[in-house]
Amino acid sequence: MKHLLSLLTLLSVSFTAFAQHTITGEVEDQMGETVPGATVILKDNPTIGTITDLDGKFVLESPKANPVLVISFIGYATQEVATEEKKTVKIILHEDNQLLDEVVLIGYGTQRKGDVTSSVASVKADNFVKGSVKDVGQLIQGKVAGLAITNPSGDPSGGTQLRLRGTNTIGGANTNPLILIDGIPGDFSTVAPEDVESIDVLKDGSAAAIYGTRGTNGVILITTKAAKGSDINSVEYNGYISTSTIAKKLEMLSASEYAALYPDQNKGFDTDWQDEITRVPVSHVHNITAMGGNTKTNYIANINISQRQGILKRSNFDSFQGRAEINHRLFDDKVKLKFGILGKKTEANNTGSGGYDGYIFSQATRRNPTEPVKNEDGSWYENTSKFEYENPVSKIYEVDGNRKRTTLRMNGSITYNPIRDLTLQAVGSYERQNYNNGYSETLEHISSLRDGLSGWTTITASTSMEKLLELTARYEKEIKGHKFSVLGGYSYNETDYEEVYVNNYGFQDDYFGGWHNIGIGSALKDGLAGMSSSKATTNLIGFFGRATYAWRNRYLLMGALRYEGASQLWGTDNAWGLFPSVSLGWRLTEEKFMKNISWLNDLKFRAGYGVTGSQPSRSFLGVAMLKYGSYAYSNGSWIQTIVPASNANPDLKWEEKKETNIGIDWAVLDSRLSGTIDFYNRDVDGLIYEYAVPTPPNLYNTTIANGGTMRNRGIEILINAVAYRSKSFEWNTTVTFSYNKNELVSLNGSVFKTEYDYFNTGQVEYSGQVTDSHRVQVGESIGNFWGFKVVDVDDEGRWIYEDRNGNLVNYTDFTHAADDKKVIGNGLPNYYAGWNNTFTYKGWDLGITMRGAFDFQLINSARMNYENAKNSRFENRLTSVSDLVFGKHTLSKEVEPEFNSYYVEDGDYWKIDNISLGYNFGALGKYVKSLRLYGSVLNAFTFTGYKGIDPEVSTDGLTPGYDTRFRYPSTRSFTIGLNVKF
Amino acid sequence: MKTSIKIWSLGVLAATTLVGNTACTELLDESYSQVVSEKYSPTNDADISYLVNAAYIPWRQTMLLWNGVVRSEELCADQDVIPARLGIGWVDGYIYKRWHQHVWTTEDDGVLQGWERTFEGINTCNRLLSQIEDGVIGVTGEAKTELVSELKVLRASYYYILCDLYGNVPIVTDFKDTNLPQQSTRKEVYDFIVREITENIGNLSETARGYYYGRFNKWAAYTLLAKMYLNAEVYAGTAQWNECIAACDQVINFAKSSGEYGLESDINAPFLTENENSKEIIFGLPFDEVYVTDWNAFDFHMYTLAPENQDTYQLKARPWGGVCAIPQFIDTFDPDDQRLADWYITGQQYSYAGDSLFESTTGVPLDYPNVVPSIDESYPYQGYRWGKFEYAIGITNRLSNDWPQFRYADVLLMKAEALMRAGKPGAGALVTEVRQRAFGANPAKAVVSDADLNAGSCYDYGRRDTYSTAHEGGADIKYGRMLDELGWEFCQEGRRRQDLIRFGVFTTKSWFSHDASDATKNLYPIPNKIMLTNSNLKQNPGY
Repeated sequence: MKHLLSLLTLLSVSFTAFAQHTITGEVEDQMGETVPGATVILKDNPTIGTITDLDGKFVLESPKANPVLVISFIGYATQEVATEEKKTVKIILHEDNQLLDEVVLIGYGTQRKGDVTSSVASVKADNFVKGSVKDVGQLIQGKVAGLAITNPSGDPSGGTQLRLRGTNTIGGANTNPLILIDGIPGDFSTVAPEDVESIDVLKDGSAAAIYGTRGTNGVILITTKAAKGSDINSVEYNGYISTSTIAKKLEMLSASEYAALYPDQNKGFDTDWQDEITRVPVSHVHNITAMGGNTKTNYIANINISQRQGILKRSNFDSFQGRAEINHRLFDDKVKLKFGILGKKTEANNTGSGGYDGYIFSQATRRNPTEPVKNEDGSWYENTSKFEYENPVSKIYEVDGNRKRTTLRMNGSITYNPIRDLTLQAVGSYERQNYNNGYSETLEHISSLRDGLSGWTTITASTSMEKLLELTARYEKEIKGHKFSVLGGYSYNETDYEEVYVNNYGFQDDYFGGWHNIGIGSALKDGLAGMSSSKATTNLIGFFGRATYAWRNRYLLMGALRYEGASQLWGTDNAWGLFPSVSLGWRLTEEKFMKNISWLNDLKFRAGYGVTGSQPSRSFLGVAMLKYGSYAYSNGSWIQTIVPASNANPDLKWEEKKETNIGIDWAVLDSRLSGTIDFYNRDVDGLIYEYAVPTPPNLYNTTIANGGTMRNRGIEILINAVAYRSKSFEWNTTVTFSYNKNELVSLNGSVFKTEYDYFNTGQVEYSGQVTDSHRVQVGESIGNFWGFKVVDVDDEGRWIYEDRNGNLVNYTDFTHAADDKKVIGNGLPNYYAGWNNTFTYKGWDLGITMRGAFDFQLINSARMNYENAKNSRFENRLTSVSDLVFGKHTLSKEVEPEFNSYYVEDGDYWKIDNISLGYNFGALGKYVKSLRLYGSVLNAFTFTGYKGIDPEVSTDGLTPGYDTRFRYPSTRSFTIGLNVKF
Repeated sequence: MKTSIKIWSLGVLAATTLVGNTACTELLDESYSQVVSEKYSPTNDADISYLVNAAYIPWRQTMLLWNGVVRSEELCADQDVIPARLGIGWVDGYIYKRWHQHVWTTEDDGVLQGWERTFEGINTCNRLLSQIEDGVIGVTGEAKTELVSELKVLRASYYYILCDLYGNVPIVTDFKDTNLPQQSTRKEVYDFIVREITENIGNLSETARGYYYGRFNKWAAYTLLAKMYLNAEVYAGTAQWNECIAACDQVINFAKSSGEYGLESDINAPFLTENENSKEIIFGLPFDEVYVTDWNAFDFHMYTLAPENQDTYQLKARPWGGVCAIPQFIDTFDPDDQRLADWYITGQQYSYAGDSLFESTTGVPLDYPNVVPSIDESYPYQGYRWGKFEYAIGITNRLSNDWPQFRYADVLLMKAEALMRAGKPGAGALVTEVRQRAFGANPAKAVVSDADLNAGSCYDYGRRDTYSTAHEGGADIKYGRMLDELGWEFCQEGRRRQDLIRFGVFTTKSWFSHDASDATKNLYPIPNKIMLTNSNLKQNPGY
């Protein structure tokens, strides 16, 4: 194709012109590789030009002697070079670090990065985390300042959690960010990570306000790969195989150590229970993308197959998905049609009715290591008399669980440009998910042996539907340095959810029953089986508009407005809300007085303010609702009573986030060093929460209401640098840093008033007991741990407490009164940092991603449960059970497990998260356009003082920092992969 | 050009559709499993009974759900204990130990549950009364008068629990008053209860059974009133013995004239699985393993039996029992008392087929002795187990026996105690009548005189565990023998604390691993969680 083009150009030139000057040249990149397909034009006469051939060479005829050439190519900085007669020019293109012309997604449209006035971060495929990533979220872990993505478990069917700019709601409203995949709502697992081209994050309120309601927790725009550019016909294969190890085992007592400590309990065997439930897993992923067509009609088709094994036995997660997109232009390119279809099937093993049973890991850690896995007769070794004590290996094998999710998403759009500057667009999508979960336990399962639930079986089936229609009209115009655009639109989103659940037990044997034949259990006949179904629908309707204006790229302005209604607020007085935003930018480097400062390539100040809203997560909270209550006995028969469902709150309204963002974008030294700094202040008013209220006068002891105000203030810094660059070696480095200070400003809303300026929440569990774990208090940050403070032990190893007045109190005198609890830590990290490096040397590339979180504490539940000398259930203990507490004495056997400050540890960590080393063979032979082989490690090293498995735990909601002993252990994974392009 | 006109008209069509079609601008308001209250209008008797019966459910919940009133009344008293069970647990953050030793905290679950679940009953009554008042519940005339009175007495009955446990609680009667409730004194609460019952009792039905089983008819209301008068001295500072006697007589006279109520000749009859027709039950809380499915709805078998006893009763679930009788209390029984033999599970245990059972972790025979070493340490097989309620063969983890909250024997013994305390004769005969059923083989032993009842208690109080042993005895307890009689007859029925307080024993004596506490422990504290939602509440003294 390229040859043909060059030829044509040459021909046309030679026939029409005479007295021509021939210029020959060669285009290379910094690494000395030739650049085919680069555009070469004459500066004076842009209509004359050519493109480089496969060897990067070009020949151009110029009507004038010694013309100035302009050479451009996607991804590289455009260059101008002067030429000399009869001399071959050699042009070395540099990668484009001046990203101002890069296009950034801003919601219902794009903007030149240089014109952006709000806080938007963009990560391209080159910079993604490489290796065995679980979902799209993990691709940008540590890459976006202010976006904390945590991977709290090693469960292959689990996902990542994310939090943008701190904790912004206290639980009653939607907490998820809006994730749009090519403009259509979805989540991090909707598309395969390998199918993603770029990810844009709209961080501040002025950027997200165009999405109104759903934008409060940030907007993440995922762009999938698409057919574009000149090199349109290609097939690409990405594949990898990976394995993993447990990142860190809990150091439990060995059989001999346990037997020495509890000789009565020695059963004479030697079992490492953590080894018994884990394995060396092998996972592989294959991704094939084909694209082709021409500028009028083109397509992309993608198939992704993954089979993942978890570190725990029988925890598998398989997925198969395909996506196809067709673009078609007609009527002189005035109308563009796009059709997309996405189909996906995932399948996973269950060891519990809902997923992987976290109890298995905790049973493996607590279990007596001198007990065997099986009896001599081959049956499982169980002890049905011990409370909460179940053979973890039997719990893995004596179940048959399977959950499948099938997703079908169809979307399409029509774009019409009646005149050049006006774009009318209609986008529609329809997504349907079917979920089927069947789960059965055998007659050898502990539930049969102990609980009489012989063959406990459940079936869950659900269907969820989401449809979206968005109509937009956009007008853009540039008149003499005045560039402006206007956007208006309408959005309708509807969801429908239906679920059926059945359980049964009382199966005679393991042959005929199970979830494939649930009806034959006797519990159904006895009236003891369970059955339920439900349905819920919601919709969200928005009208929105946006205007942007820029004068000579120097003064920039954007304003947006969204008017939105949510069905969750139906029945309240405030179902519709108005969400405005405005932002301004000033490009100093475009000012005349700055033109002389040559080292400064770009300097822009931005300031924005935006309001976004969140609706409550439940519907019908504004009106009194009735539901069926318990059964009552009346006149000889049992009847279903009818009771109110909740406290009605007609004053309920949108939770509103008001955010101010001030930022600076800068680039210096030929843009080799660039970055952004953002300062923000987010005030969330009318916090929706299920507040504790007195009964009476209330019917229920909680009401969902709009309470007080939460504030998050912070700073985010991003620095990009080309740290070193030579012909063959380049080192690029990116540093991200963020600081966030969370503060609950008030708990009182405009209507709803709380009694006190604090409440307790969360649960810590020790020996089967639970107590509040966290306190939420006005003037404090979310995430405060609330418990007893111990400062020492006495000569017998019993706690010495610090009471409410700061006095030291002995164990026997301490009453464990509620008033003696204190703030003993905080689970929300205040600082996050990331440092990403890529090194390229000839064909080699090495990527090292590091990230960390600082200034927070964790509740170590494993230590709280397994470090007590008192062991009335004779469970296993951590080896640290014999450590001296406070360096003084081992803990007394008199002391019962409890939640106190001794089990709160600093959680600061720095992870060398991802190391990947690849070699790019370039084009090979006739058919292979490029080939890259790589190896990578994920979760490679963790530097931390924390004693638990992994300091990276859930930071969700009001109860961050609780490291539960039931969590699926974190893993370190090793991957070898291959990318080939044909 | 033609094409672009087409497309323009398409756009106009789209815009018109959007504005014209309200479906594009209206919020969805369809609810599927619940109903918006305004759309539901109850009219017929059945509808009304679906609504009204909801007000009774908190009674069974507050008594018997996990850490409910039964535990609040028993685990702090001298008959029952949950000691730590080696290998099983039952330490649970020392909550049972704190109960036993009277050092509960304001955050203890047992302190909270009695409050929350009971107030739920009050709330429901207030809501229904308000709905009847507003005509939302379509009931009129005499039926309305009766229903209103029934709900008021029911509300008073919930206040009886609160008055007993917490004393100083807010009295709330107006459902529409959304102000934070003000606290009342225990005496005010007592007066309120008595007033509510006496003002409304005349409107209540006299029907004993059928529709009125498990509801407040006139006789359940008189029994409640008798309970209030019996405890009047504790609750309000002034004894009301004669009023108590009069209330009891109302029930006794009706029982005798109608034959609807009376003593069962078999002591076990009120506690059987199918006990809903027992004439001894005046106010019962109905249970059924299929219909009452709350976790721990009524699970004495799970709660007291050792795991191996699963085979004895062919239970669906393996019990994890902990609670047992305090050996000192067992020692007070006359060896010929059938109530000891029938109401406690003792000695060697057998499978349903008759084979001896062995404790599975230690291999020793499962043979319950009347021995419990201490609150901190005991083997799963130690101590006598609760066996008053029948454990039906093959049941789930929930019992189907109804809970006899008020029973006829209680009316007789209330009258006996009131007669004795009022210095009137006749107590001995009443007590004898109740005892006769338990001494069928030795009728002579059943007989007690008024003078006998005036004697002290035969309970040998004093610390009695591996840590310390003392013999304080019970001879100094005024009317101690009467207290003993109550203990024998009403063991395992969730009321011992109330009796001990009335006889002045609760905080003054020691038993098992419990030392005498102080008088402030006669009331539970207001739960911390509740204090946090209402700044008008003042904590009870001593907490």
